Amino acid sequence: MGKYADDPAWSDLTPLPTDEGGSHPLAQIAYSADYEETMSYLRALMAANEFSPRALDLTEDLIDMNPAHYTVWLYRAQCLFALNSDLHEELEWLNETALAHQKNYQIWHHRNLVVDKLGECGGETEFVARMFEKDAKNYHVWSYRQWLVKRFDLWEAGELEFTERMLGEDVRNNSAWNHRWFVVNGRAGAAGVGDPEVRAREVGFAEEAIGKVAQNQSPWNYLRGIMRRCGKPLAELKGIAEQYASLDRPDAVRSSFALDLLADILAEEEDGKEQAGRALDLLASRYDPIRKNYWAYRKDQLGLGELKQAVADVA
Amino acid sequence: MAIMKSEDIMGEPHFDKPRHIKYWTRCLKTLLPHQYTSNESNRMYLAYFIVSALDLLGALDSVLNEDERQGYIDWIYRCQHPNGGFRMWPGTDFGAKANPKNARWDPANIPATYFALATLLILKDDFKRINRRLTLIWLSQMQRSDGSFGETLVSGRVEGGQDPRFGYCATGIRYILRAATEGDLSIDGQVVKDVDLDAFVRCVRVAEAYDGGIADAPFHEPHAGYTFCSLGALAFVDRLNTRGLPTEQPPTAPCHPQSVLSWLVCRQTELADPDAGIDSEFVAAQDTRDTRKKEDGVTSEAQADGTVPAHQDPECSAGVTIFDLLVDGAGMNGRINKVADTCYGFWAGASLHIMQQPNLYHHEAVRRYLLGKTQHPVLGGYGKFPGDLPDLLHSYLGLAALSLAGHDQVKEIDGGMCLSKEARSRLPAIWESFADSR
Repeated sequence: MGKYADDPAWSDLTPLPTDEGGSHPLAQIAYSADYEETMSYLRALMAANEFSPRALDLTEDLIDMNPAHYTVWLYRAQCLFALNSDLHEELEWLNETALAHQKNYQIWHHRNLVVDKLGECGGETEFVARMFEKDAKNYHVWSYRQWLVKRFDLWEAGELEFTERMLGEDVRNNSAWNHRWFVVNGRAGAAGVGDPEVRAREVGFAEEAIGKVAQNQSPWNYLRGIMRRCGKPLAELKGIAEQYASLDRPDAVRSSFALDLLADILAEEEDGKEQAGRALDLLASRYDPIRKNYWAYRKDQLGLGELKQAVADVA
Repeated sequence: MAIMKSEDIMGEPHFDKPRHIKYWTRCLKTLLPHQYTSNESNRMYLAYFIVSALDLLGALDSVLNEDERQGYIDWIYRCQHPNGGFRMWPGTDFGAKANPKNARWDPANIPATYFALATLLILKDDFKRINRRLTLIWLSQMQRSDGSFGETLVSGRVEGGQDPRFGYCATGIRYILRAATEGDLSIDGQVVKDVDLDAFVRCVRVAEAYDGGIADAPFHEPHAGYTFCSLGALAFVDRLNTRGLPTEQPPTAPCHPQSVLSWLVCRQTELADPDAGIDSEFVAAQDTRDTRKKEDGVTSEAQADGTVPAHQDPECSAGVTIFDLLVDGAGMNGRINKVADTCYGFWAGASLHIMQQPNLYHHEAVRRYLLGKTQHPVLGGYGKFPGDLPDLLHSYLGLAALSLAGHDQVKEIDGGMCLSKEARSRLPAIWESFADSR
């Protein structure tokens, strides 16, 4: 009648079905008989606190159908450690599971636990690279990569070069930009971009990326972030902003992000407010009209009144 | 020519309200399809989507008779944990087999508890069966020393990631069960300690990223979902800083509200096609430019001279004039340089509402994106991306986003609690009733 019910290895265990209690359960699911049976046996195992190889097998089965089950993962971890299981085998199973359920976060939490217990991370960066081939912006995987770097002190083990490779493949990958920020600034006690040499290198890196694609917010934010972290005025970025957005050539703006930055820089200058207003007008009417209300708000914050149509109408 | 109004181009796409009501009624009264099996352990929030969607559509009272309303309320209470809080579904309760040794596999769950309380509020429950004292005691045990909250308490250990989703739900539970006021309470003659709000605020502050968004942890990439949870939680505990410098007595956050606003408005994007690669038009344009550069021998300095202005290059002119935006709409994304996705119309939109700047994004463009692109024409509901089949999460958040963007066929939603303003307005009376029992 079922995978477990028909198996003599499970005949000693009485399955424990779920009691929904009453006739109006919410969000009940038309799950398969297979799932229902597996769940009933899992409940019986957990109720008996059984930590055994067969329990390990069954959790695999259930996780495959319902990876969001929050205590089955904890129960599986308990089984693994109680049985002194081969944790490398566990990682191999996790590889397949993670590839099949890309958006699940419990898998990564469990991987954390296992790798932490193993105390070594051989093969981990390779697996992470495989995950990035499927989705180079997977949030859980980037978070896991940060954990690996911290846990195993991989700061100098080619991590900066890794971000360069990822950005070489897609200069708009903001996750890779963020990881670079972490590698440069996230180490406890590190001066990061506070060190003038590091700062020059990172500013150069971002400027080069802007040279490749100017209409890409990531490196512009990276530059602003550097200035903020060092307590430097945005005015230091006036050169690069004007290279891509000059008010003298309103028809030739090459990046709305440069124009936005220029507006901020001008607003800080003595007698610069009117010009900042012109930059905001240009953004609203021409280069970034979807954010018209925001540009109007910025203008209002500067006490400059309402937006003006900056150029001949466009449509 | 002045900027065209959308009516001049064409009418806003139609909101098929009866079809949405049909979709949600089916979700409420019949079994969900087997594809939801992988979400069985999230049933309490699926329940909340279903009940709250019907409320937003103004259909709850006509769809439910009194027996059904009471029956659904009873199911939620069936998930209440004997030691406080709620379970996500009855599947961890061992019933007659429960004992102190297996109790660790049946913990109450923080998101389940918030969604259970929210759903009870929408169903007009009187909250008399809530074990308020034990739930608040359990809640104070769910906070870690760094100020963050977890998901479950198992063998005395707070489990679950350091994640503002839990912070949002935990502060939401606290808000529903004791309003925003701070300090220890005395319930049924027992002192119930408050959570450490200062520590929680610090925990949000350190997750503010260099580009203005908020992440789940320090140095992680900022994300509209986590930004919503962080801001929503701060609002629940009355520690939200919406402008200028934060205060220290008591601490508030975010530290850089203007950067948060700028980051949030940048979530609105004309990029809508996930299969095109994240922004293929721009990448393609770049490739063309590179080739041209080589052929013409044009140096980068010559480029810098402004030969290829943004949005004027023929290869990257798609979807950038206000005309195009109004026709096609523009949804919101969750992170920089990603395509729009139905649910971020809520996460990013609601964040702006919480920051008290509800009009900084383009409401009409969001409505057009939702109605014209991700609303399912046959089944009702919303998919994640254009052409996708509807699912509960995107169908609910699509409705919620539509309400925030000012659609008059959906009830007014409270951005912070993600349920109707009408449902939220029942809270003061419930707080009164708690005060009576104290």
